[in-house]
Amino acid sequence: MNSHTITHRQLFFLVVQTQIGVGVLSLPFSLFTKAKIDGWISLIIAGLLIQFSILAIWKLCDRFPQNTIYEILPKIMGKNLGLVFNFIYTMHFAFISILILIMYNSIVGKWILFETPHWVIIFIMAAAGYYFITSSPREIVRFFVLVTPLLLILFVFILYAYTDVHFLYLFPVGQAGILTIIKSSSDAVVALLGFDVALVFLAYTTGTPAKKIKVISFASFCITVLYAFIVFTTYIYFNPEEIVIVPEPVLYMLKAFSFSIIERTDLIFLSVWIISVATSFISYLFITAKGVQTLFKLKDHQKGAPYVAIFCAMIAIIPNEKLEVLIWNKYISLTSLIFSAMFPIVLLLIAMLRKKQEKGAASS
Amino acid sequence: MKKILTVLPVLLLLTGCWDQAMLNQTKLITAGGFDYTKDGKVLTTAAVPQSVAAEAGKGNIVNQIFSASGNTARQSRLRLDRRVAERLDASKNQIILFGEDAAKKDIYQLLDVFYRDPKSALNAKLAVAKGKASDVISTRFEEPKMSSGVGEYLRDSIISAEESATVPKENIQTVCPVMFDPGQDFALPYLEPLKKTVSIRGVALFHEHKMVGTIREPLSVTYTMLTGEKHTIAMNTTKKIFKNKKPELMNYVTIKVKKNKRSFDVDVTPEGKVSAEIKLKMKVIVTEYPSDNLGTPGEVENVEKRLSKKLTKDAQKVIVKLQKMNSDPFGVGRHVMAYHYPVWEKLNWKEVYPKIDFKASIDVDVIGHGIIE
Repeated sequence: MNSHTITHRQLFFLVVQTQIGVGVLSLPFSLFTKAKIDGWISLIIAGLLIQFSILAIWKLCDRFPQNTIYEILPKIMGKNLGLVFNFIYTMHFAFISILILIMYNSIVGKWILFETPHWVIIFIMAAAGYYFITSSPREIVRFFVLVTPLLLILFVFILYAYTDVHFLYLFPVGQAGILTIIKSSSDAVVALLGFDVALVFLAYTTGTPAKKIKVISFASFCITVLYAFIVFTTYIYFNPEEIVIVPEPVLYMLKAFSFSIIERTDLIFLSVWIISVATSFISYLFITAKGVQTLFKLKDHQKGAPYVAIFCAMIAIIPNEKLEVLIWNKYISLTSLIFSAMFPIVLLLIAMLRKKQEKGAASS
Repeated sequence: MKKILTVLPVLLLLTGCWDQAMLNQTKLITAGGFDYTKDGKVLTTAAVPQSVAAEAGKGNIVNQIFSASGNTARQSRLRLDRRVAERLDASKNQIILFGEDAAKKDIYQLLDVFYRDPKSALNAKLAVAKGKASDVISTRFEEPKMSSGVGEYLRDSIISAEESATVPKENIQTVCPVMFDPGQDFALPYLEPLKKTVSIRGVALFHEHKMVGTIREPLSVTYTMLTGEKHTIAMNTTKKIFKNKKPELMNYVTIKVKKNKRSFDVDVTPEGKVSAEIKLKMKVIVTEYPSDNLGTPGEVENVEKRLSKKLTKDAQKVIVKLQKMNSDPFGVGRHVMAYHYPVWEKLNWKEVYPKIDFKASIDVDVIGHGIIE
């Protein structure tokens, strides 16, 4: 068990790396289609909303120290219902992994590898994911910490956009109306998902509960700020009329920059971005494998890992048209909203009402 | 050892071979031009520099010019491709030229290909050519014969014009947000082919997607000053500030702008009347002044006064021209939209803009005059 634990500082990097994923490229676009130029406000609201989910997840896991969601569910819902929900959660995390693969494939296929068959692109990522999840959580997180400095590169590239921005495009602020702004924050919540891996990884984290909530909360805060910055930048770079025809504004913006050594900045950005995608994928694949381990009562999660990776890759190959991808994206986003952001709150309420709590856990 | 052996086959697999683009199988376009033929078809002209192997270290470059027409920009490109032995590739394109007639129709329709293709070079320069774009591209210029292709030559000419503030800095991507903006327009360099060189004659002004007119040099420098371009570039201009000195050359002064501070105010009265004013405060250095009497403060003030007066007059001329063309490159409309949205919604900007009260003034402050008085 010892090599399985991670420190609370490592938990910070884990949450950060999981949250930054496929969503970042198209987030400005998806927010714009709903909230127009006020999308960045929706994002900040979403950032506040997810803090509640984080609080619920933390409180829930705090009642059952060193238990993952798969062990907690049977304890608070009874054995049979717990099994059903374990299955639902495993599928839910599997489908998030699949969605990551689908979105990654569609962007890589569109921007870099036009001729490469889709299954190759997907299987390379799935293979990398499989390789990673055969290690212990500590080893995975060490990799995440290692690649975090790369985020600075992404940040610096985006900063370069400020050589050609039009601040006036943001005005008048609030033209979409408060109600629309709040409604569209649900889209932003989907992009910010990633804190839900805490449902499993909190069980491996050492440190006091207060420290744990601080790092998760702070990690989400950092990502909200980073995303808000990115959305804000694209909104002042592109004209409001133009952004509706640019589904990946971040890449498009970078494509126009060129330096004396680098001609296509977007390609450099994409290569770094793929690592961010891989980290999110690894996190979700790991917790899916953990779910499979619980469901089939395997000795360790490594046994189920290859099947999980192959399952995800196979399903991710199915949608091969842009419209199909959009439909998959829509439905999986919806389920993630329910199971990752809202359901933990419900679970916490059930646990509190039924007074379920592990012995030895600090009572609140 | 066993691990290394398992890694080796993986390395072989990782280098996919689907997405390779062989350089020896492609022809890189460095300059592209668009015109319309008489029957309304798009005529694409492309220049492909090809180095001719000569003695070692002495590669000469020959420009191959191809052209083809089609119903759309892409169709003409595909037809072009069929005429060339290898595959044409525009990912290293340096410049896109529009013939004046093509520019007056709609440039976005022609540029759609470039915005859509992930491999296209969005940082290529855009320019409008007097007459036909194909003429400019196929001219045998003196300079590029030896060292570089026509695309590079044209791009460098534009960059040097940008640096002397004759034309604003733009590329395919930077014009895009402005092209979509109902409250702002843009300007592109306006080229004219001479016998063996190309001359940048000023700027071509656009309204929405169409070219609506030109502002020639030296007024185009005043135009660039009014956009508030930073002083990092060498903004030079020669102005006639006296009338009757002999010889004629004594009437002129050349200045270089060191600092260009711009204030841009757009006012909307409660009745919805829009007025705009651009005020420039420039700190300049005199780089040429044959009269040679900048010793006394009085004389410097005199020059400042005359320069300010002359430049303000020029600025006003530019504004009048812009309003006549109904081109709004300073974004007066954008200001109205941003700060007075209810008013903007009521206005039909296209009709209002030419009639608004739009003033410009330039205030010159001489801060240096080289190493002689």
